[in-house]
Amino acid sequence: MMSTTTERSGQMAIPQGTEQAHTLVVLIHDRPGAVDRVVGLLRRRRANMQTIILGRSTQADVVRVTIGIDDSQVSVDQLVEQLRKIVDVVEVTNLAAQEAITRELALIKINATGSQVQEILDYGQRFAAHIIEVTTETVTLEIVSSEDQIEHLLEGVTSYGVREIARSGNISIARGKNA
Amino acid sequence: MAIAAKFIQQGTETTAQATPNNESERELAGSAILCEALMREGVEILFGYPGGAIMPFYDSLTSYPALHHVLVRHEQAAAHAADGYSRATGKAGVCVATSGPGATNLVTGLATAFMDSIPLVAITGQVASHFIGRDAFQETDVIGVTQPITKHNFLVRSADEVAAVVHEAFRVAQSGRPGPVLIDIPKDVLLGKATYRPSASRTSSEQMEAIQPTGISEYVAAQAVRLIAQAQRPLIMAGHGIILGNAYNELRVFAEKTTIPVITTLLGLSAFSDTHPLHLGMPGMHGPAHVNRAIGDADLIIAVGMRFDDRVTGKVAGFAPNAQIIHIDIDPSEMHKVKVATLPIVADAKVALATLAKAVAATSKHAWLSEIRSWETETRTRQQQIKHNEEYPDPTGILSAIYDATDGDAIIVSDVGQNQMWTARFYQWTRQNSHITSGGLGTMGFALPAAMGVKMGVPDAPVWAIAGDGGIQMNIQELATLRQEGVAVKVAIMNNGYLGMVRQWQQFFHSRNYSETPMTGPDYTLLAAAYGLTGIRVTRRDEVAGAIKRAMETEGTVIIDFVIEAEANVYPMVAPGSAITSMIEETESV
Repeated sequence: MMSTTTERSGQMAIPQGTEQAHTLVVLIHDRPGAVDRVVGLLRRRRANMQTIILGRSTQADVVRVTIGIDDSQVSVDQLVEQLRKIVDVVEVTNLAAQEAITRELALIKINATGSQVQEILDYGQRFAAHIIEVTTETVTLEIVSSEDQIEHLLEGVTSYGVREIARSGNISIARGKNA
Repeated sequence: MAIAAKFIQQGTETTAQATPNNESERELAGSAILCEALMREGVEILFGYPGGAIMPFYDSLTSYPALHHVLVRHEQAAAHAADGYSRATGKAGVCVATSGPGATNLVTGLATAFMDSIPLVAITGQVASHFIGRDAFQETDVIGVTQPITKHNFLVRSADEVAAVVHEAFRVAQSGRPGPVLIDIPKDVLLGKATYRPSASRTSSEQMEAIQPTGISEYVAAQAVRLIAQAQRPLIMAGHGIILGNAYNELRVFAEKTTIPVITTLLGLSAFSDTHPLHLGMPGMHGPAHVNRAIGDADLIIAVGMRFDDRVTGKVAGFAPNAQIIHIDIDPSEMHKVKVATLPIVADAKVALATLAKAVAATSKHAWLSEIRSWETETRTRQQQIKHNEEYPDPTGILSAIYDATDGDAIIVSDVGQNQMWTARFYQWTRQNSHITSGGLGTMGFALPAAMGVKMGVPDAPVWAIAGDGGIQMNIQELATLRQEGVAVKVAIMNNGYLGMVRQWQQFFHSRNYSETPMTGPDYTLLAAAYGLTGIRVTRRDEVAGAIKRAMETEGTVIIDFVIEAEANVYPMVAPGSAITSMIEETESV
């Protein structure tokens, strides 16, 4: 997860450190190669992609792709226009952080024996996380929250020893009534 | 000869299939549906090469004599020929190849067309559906390979889909900013039967009738008018979009009403007549000094259908540093890509220029134009004082001799390198759309096959291919195709025994370390004879005009091997990464 502003010819004026988190919601037709085209374009145009999630949308034949990108505003605007040119792409929305509700799901397998299980459960409840499996050596927490909250939760359990983390990456939806 | 063979084969089976019948609904093989759909699209000519996976198509083809198939000698040439055909006629070009190596050989041609926004439809055979993904003989993931160099590509899943996909492919290729589209068809789909209903899918032109060209709002036009009225030193930079959008007249009317000088980019050459009093020339790396200086001094640039390529801008920060920019382009993703536009206008060039021409007030910017002209005269005077070798044929002279011999009526197809820059600079572009070259990708080996496509698309025009001795050897095999088809392309080789442009860079930037640039070639007169064509070798300047005249009078394809000065350079030149206003000029010491 490098964090430098990607240099591009003609946009030298963009100073380092002006990258921001952007969330692109890309709706694409569910056709062979469509996802490939979106991902390929992001690679070709040097998008600083952080996460990418595929899932169903409200329409049966349309896939919702949520892409997290750290880059300057002008570079992301370029990507949006490039994405719109892909024949399979139905719609592209660039959701600014304040306009979006963003969630991530994480499954965290933590070393725990005896009373540690209860400690972890109590701690997790502060984040609305709950235990979904307990073994003789481990507990597994499930949390659905913002990226920051998940990081916080992780900080609190590192001392027990974290065996494995599975994170879904962010999905976003616009705030308010509008789709 | 190929055509004759086709008729013989056909003799006994003149069927109702031979002409498309829009009324009838019948069961046909996928390959025949493909031919029917191509006919409905108005395709007259295809460039291609048969092979295993595409064979069912070739089997059907003999039943459609109106589809003239040209058997190239390498699939790369099929793509370039279709590209040349498209550039010259404005129609979509069609090329055909088999799976695997046939399809991968198209790649350079597709990339060339993609960079220059040329509408091509490439049809490739694919191994049968049940073999896909099994590493079958001659299997390549052509959809994957061509994804970054096509506007879109299709894998056809059943014979039922063929017609709709073909029409959709032609629409995508030709609408908006044009580009190449590939259709990959597995062999079982070509062989499979389906009910063909012409009325079930609309052709590309029927689909496009519904699309209104993107215009510009009154508000945007008013802003443009205000910027133009304020400008003291405005320039129009006209690109390929003028030619692709058939906006020649709108550009001329707009320029004449505002008296704004016109610069034509490499792919914009012949969009605006070189002899027009407002025409300045080509910008960028090898543009004449007065053009680049004008850009440096301009306070407004009206860029139409051009994309600020790095060969045009040089160092971006040094490009038009004092200018506001009105950028008109049909592709929204070009806006602010390189230069941030003061006023971005996403619109069709023809519509936008017509609207602006109506909205602006007639003005006179003659003081600015005469200032630029005085710089031009200055440079010319200085150049005339430089003594040149008079013995060898010189590129400038060759190009003006071709212009004179053809009364400016020729279509010139250049290759890549010094020959391309000499052609761009020293031919006089007075015929609309007479300049054809691989601009964006810079594909050596483009000229000969593209010129074949041009000549077949516009048979009445004299067509000249200009190439270096490097580039001509890259697709030289097409001489056989030209001979077989009886197509008359006149070929001028600028033979300096070097990969000239690379050598020039080595001279300027690598201390004359001529690493792997000296090269030999065949005796082109013998080579021409071997192909059953005419070859002429010219070693002296006083033979140039005579040789060109003889080539024009000789039937069929003629090759002229012009032996030019070995270390001739293209001047002026902007060093890569420099501002375009700092140029390397020709001096006495060469």
